[in-house]
Amino acid sequence: MKRLTAIAALAVVATATACGTTGNTSSSGAGGIYTTIDGSKQIDASAPINPFNPQGSTFMGYDAMSLGWPKNDLMNPDLFYPGLAGSWSVTPGQGEVVIHLRPQARWSDGKPVTSEDVRTSIGLAYTQGGSAYTVNSGAAGAAADITVVDAKTVKITQGSNRSNAFLRNVLSTVVVPAHVYGSLLPAGFWTTLKTAQGTGPAADKAKAVITGLAQKVIGFSPPADVSAGPFVLERINPGAALLKKNPYFYDAAKIVPDKVKVLNYTGNEQIWNYLVSGKLDNAPFTAVPAAVMARIKATKGNEIRKGYSPVAASLAFNQAHKPYDNVHVRRALAYLIDRGQLTRVASPEAGTPAVTTTGIHASAAKAWLGDGLAKLNPYKVDPAKATKELKAAGMVKRNGLWAMPDGKPWKVRLTVPAEFSDWVAAAKSIASQLNDHGIDATVTTSADYTLYLDELASGKLDIGFWLMALGPSPYNIYQRLYGSANGWSLLAGRLRHSPPGKDGNWMGGPEVVGGVNPGELTNRLNLATPEEQKRIVGTLAGLTNQQLPVIQLYDYVNTQFVNTTRYTGWPPAGSEALRLPAGVWMQLGMIEKK
Amino acid sequence: MTVTAMLPGGQGGARATLRRNFWRGVGRVLRRKPSRIAGVAIIALFALMAVFGPMLYPAHLPRDDNALYAAPSLAHPFGTDFEGTDVLALVVTGARYVILTGLATAIITVAVGTALGLLAGFHRGRWDTVLMRITDLQLTIPGLPLLLVLSTVWKFEGPLEMGLVLGLLGWGGIARAVRSQTLSLRERGFIEAARGLGLPTRHIIVRELLPGMAPYIAMNMLIAVTGAIYAQVGLFFLGVLPFDSNNWGVMLNLAVFGGGALTSAAALPYLLAPLLAILLLTLGIVLVVDAMDEIFNPRLREE
Repeated sequence: MKRLTAIAALAVVATATACGTTGNTSSSGAGGIYTTIDGSKQIDASAPINPFNPQGSTFMGYDAMSLGWPKNDLMNPDLFYPGLAGSWSVTPGQGEVVIHLRPQARWSDGKPVTSEDVRTSIGLAYTQGGSAYTVNSGAAGAAADITVVDAKTVKITQGSNRSNAFLRNVLSTVVVPAHVYGSLLPAGFWTTLKTAQGTGPAADKAKAVITGLAQKVIGFSPPADVSAGPFVLERINPGAALLKKNPYFYDAAKIVPDKVKVLNYTGNEQIWNYLVSGKLDNAPFTAVPAAVMARIKATKGNEIRKGYSPVAASLAFNQAHKPYDNVHVRRALAYLIDRGQLTRVASPEAGTPAVTTTGIHASAAKAWLGDGLAKLNPYKVDPAKATKELKAAGMVKRNGLWAMPDGKPWKVRLTVPAEFSDWVAAAKSIASQLNDHGIDATVTTSADYTLYLDELASGKLDIGFWLMALGPSPYNIYQRLYGSANGWSLLAGRLRHSPPGKDGNWMGGPEVVGGVNPGELTNRLNLATPEEQKRIVGTLAGLTNQQLPVIQLYDYVNTQFVNTTRYTGWPPAGSEALRLPAGVWMQLGMIEKK
Repeated sequence: MTVTAMLPGGQGGARATLRRNFWRGVGRVLRRKPSRIAGVAIIALFALMAVFGPMLYPAHLPRDDNALYAAPSLAHPFGTDFEGTDVLALVVTGARYVILTGLATAIITVAVGTALGLLAGFHRGRWDTVLMRITDLQLTIPGLPLLLVLSTVWKFEGPLEMGLVLGLLGWGGIARAVRSQTLSLRERGFIEAARGLGLPTRHIIVRELLPGMAPYIAMNMLIAVTGAIYAQVGLFFLGVLPFDSNNWGVMLNLAVFGGGALTSAAALPYLLAPLLAILLLTLGIVLVVDAMDEIFNPRLREE
């Protein structure tokens, strides 16, 4: 422990020195230096200035730009703020998306942003795979063709296996300069890509060539940052990154700060200390204990902006394990868990108790289900109903403790990753509540999240915590419950269901419940019209509420921190821009100097 | 041992006299410095906590849903934790795991280290070479990283498992020290005499060499307990071992990362209680080791 303390102290000194150096030698004009953190990653000063590298020294919204920025809408995932794309058009069914780049968009070296940049960026995205740019034949929503119409217009065509996620995936494309990254794509790349999009041995060989470029792209290190965003990286050290204003940015007049300093952190505690000391002009969502929140609020200028966050925490069952295959047992547990109390214990500042289990965040559930929400079983705490359900499941009570139908002890083991302190506290609260009602419940932890997910996928765990309701796309929402974790996966454009324990199916739910195949319905959300989607969501919410493959515990609240001492014009509570990086707020003309 | 055989009267009576004299000596040494009495009292307190602590409370500790992170009061001298459980109750009921792990670690460390050190030092030659290379190998194993890796495949369900692993990772130092002592003692006259009398090796090691090193080994054992407590609490603090809300390391982890004890005062008592317990236990052990040093070292008793 002593050694740990010493290392921590040294790290603090090093960080302070590093930050101090940055601060002291930086000159800022009237716009001042805007100080923040990057919520998506910690700073790695040795990482390349490359947005394809997960640790890359680029910062979304500041010096890394995409075609558009998603709005935080409850239901419509296709609403975007313009980014490098000033406008776009899409055909019905999203077969074709035409992107019109901003005429004034230029890179920080003065060169214009062109369609060739977009095409190169898409080529590089293919090497990484996923979303619209995958070489897996038959994958839903994959781009089939990229056509440069003119210097500022690109047409991207969707393959035959359609998905209504195509537009948003295209708009989320990160654009890099072709004159810097273009050499990464070998001659004949586009021909190879065409071959890879087919089937057969030649296609397999071509796919290997494309995906074989992934590491080269990730590891590419340009000598300097070339940005089309409002800022460009000036320098970076282990303590902080300093970005200066990009004079060529298409909306440079809207950008107020002269520089942006992105501070590094090693854990939430460091962010709390930054906030308590009033150092940050804003910080994205960070889990904060109530007492720390009180101290943050007490700091001059600090304000909290709360908004919709399409994420919820749930208790997920492995239905291949007894007695969790029995819906009565799952319902009994739902009747015994006081969600209000556990939210107070686990996430008082960044969570609201789930209204009930629908699979959807409460805010979106109201929009999707309307009056239907009130008709669902709220699973309010009711020990009498829990007893009835347990008896219906054949469970027996021995010496004050519930046991399995054959009289063997029933030990409820709740597993959570040790690094998520809110989940650990929530799991402990649930275990305590179940103990109060004669259920022998304990909490176990996995050393880290990756190991935890491995343990879940391998079917080792009975009950684990699970992130769900990942909206706004209804497909993404229900894919968490009726997707690969529950046996349904898309292979070559065809949906198939794997038995429990196979292909990552750890939830082990039945393929068909009461004549409904929830995986198939979920998959249809990908293609359905808005009206159809609403109907399917209603069915899935009702089924989820009855069957409880998970118990929805609390819905997250997007809690952002802003400081009004140096800058004003922050997005208001509930704003559609609230989940975007502050660099995008600046692009939208929101941030002003005080 | 030979002196005992030459004493007049029955062997049992002589031993009883020696035992009485020994405990009188112990009493004198303890009384000489009140801090040593305090040390014994502290260790006795923790031993009682470990044995009887969990019996003082219900199996599932009561919670007060309306007093999360409550400040210290008469009802809760160290406040409450994140779900309103009395922190003192957590410390008391958590003592058993910590102390059992410490003892298990110490016993394994001392047993393995002493056995290997005695064998290597007494036999010398090939025995010494082989055993000391094994010891060197053990000393080069980085304990913490290995434990971090092990924790991903082994859940360390109980204190004895934990103690076994910590013990097997910690015997190298004692083995080296005991070997050095053995190399020195084996050249003394009484060992030469024992050899001359044709006594078996086992007798020489167990009945002649070991008693001479017993004080040293006992002191090392107590120090190993503190090392084991630090190691296991550290691992629990890092969150790599199974969750147990009354484990002192888990309490530290939740106080810092869940309660923000280093940023706000609300969770500070929750952080300080297990820290104080660790500090007190270590202090108690250090004070008792100080007393043992004087008890077993005649030169320190001359005043």
